[in-house]
Amino acid sequence: MALFARAFEKRELRDPGIFRAIFSNVWLAPILLLLRLYIGYQFLMAGAHKVWGGERWIAVSGPDGLALKGYWERAVAIPEQGRPPISFDWYRDFLTFMLDHSWYRWFAWVIALGEVAVGIALIVGAFVGVAALFGAFMNFNFLMAGSASINPVMFVVAMLVIFGWKTAGWIGLDRWLLPALGTPWQPGSVARGPAKEGAREPSAPDIRDTGRQRGPHPSPTG
Amino acid sequence: MNRVLLLLLGVAAWAGVALTAVLITFNIGEKNQILMFLPILAAVAVAWGVGEVVTERVFNRDEGE
Repeated sequence: MALFARAFEKRELRDPGIFRAIFSNVWLAPILLLLRLYIGYQFLMAGAHKVWGGERWIAVSGPDGLALKGYWERAVAIPEQGRPPISFDWYRDFLTFMLDHSWYRWFAWVIALGEVAVGIALIVGAFVGVAALFGAFMNFNFLMAGSASINPVMFVVAMLVIFGWKTAGWIGLDRWLLPALGTPWQPGSVARGPAKEGAREPSAPDIRDTGRQRGPHPSPTG
Repeated sequence: MNRVLLLLLGVAAWAGVALTAVLITFNIGEKNQILMFLPILAAVAVAWGVGEVVTERVFNRDEGE
């Protein structure tokens, strides 16, 4: 029992200094900005092709998502010689299930609009961590379906942006969005409501206050 | 100046970044990715400057400490 108690005790381990220096300090925000802009731009361009391009996936005459259907069909195909594009059977079954139920009609909208939304969010620096998470998830799925292309690079860059979610949007809207809206574990100024006259507001998720090295995480306990 | 106006100015600056990125993507396509990237970077620089000068004053709760 003591073993379980130790394994599941509520104890937060602090990140090492080098990790905090890279991903929690705003001095590297310009680097994260460039990474963010790069993948944001790639997502926006990929999404723009699917939403507005000549060979767009959605809002076409006839059923939507036929291009996605073709992509999925190529992905689930098992060639007579050589290796199939998909390595995991469960993922092939998953795509086959979506193909059989014609989910490509609405899923094309999810992917196309999702790529545009992720691209814009990363470029303007709004909810960067969440946007990069969704972006990485899309890259992951393209990789699982056998499309390498630029997805491995995009995935790695998205992971770096996720690690640096507190500071990646410092040069962007997150600089004010995060303190205003807060995090699930620490409400921001909007969630707390207006402060009383003369009273200093308690600290918001303090990505802005890095000079004093107070992060959005509560102090370590235990 | 009114705080709301200052805030709207900051938001407009970043909305301009989004608009620039979308317009650039539309009009230039993939012809030259470096040339496409530069206007977006310039728009970000402008929005950053607006944020530092304008928006920061609206949100800077620690001012005067």
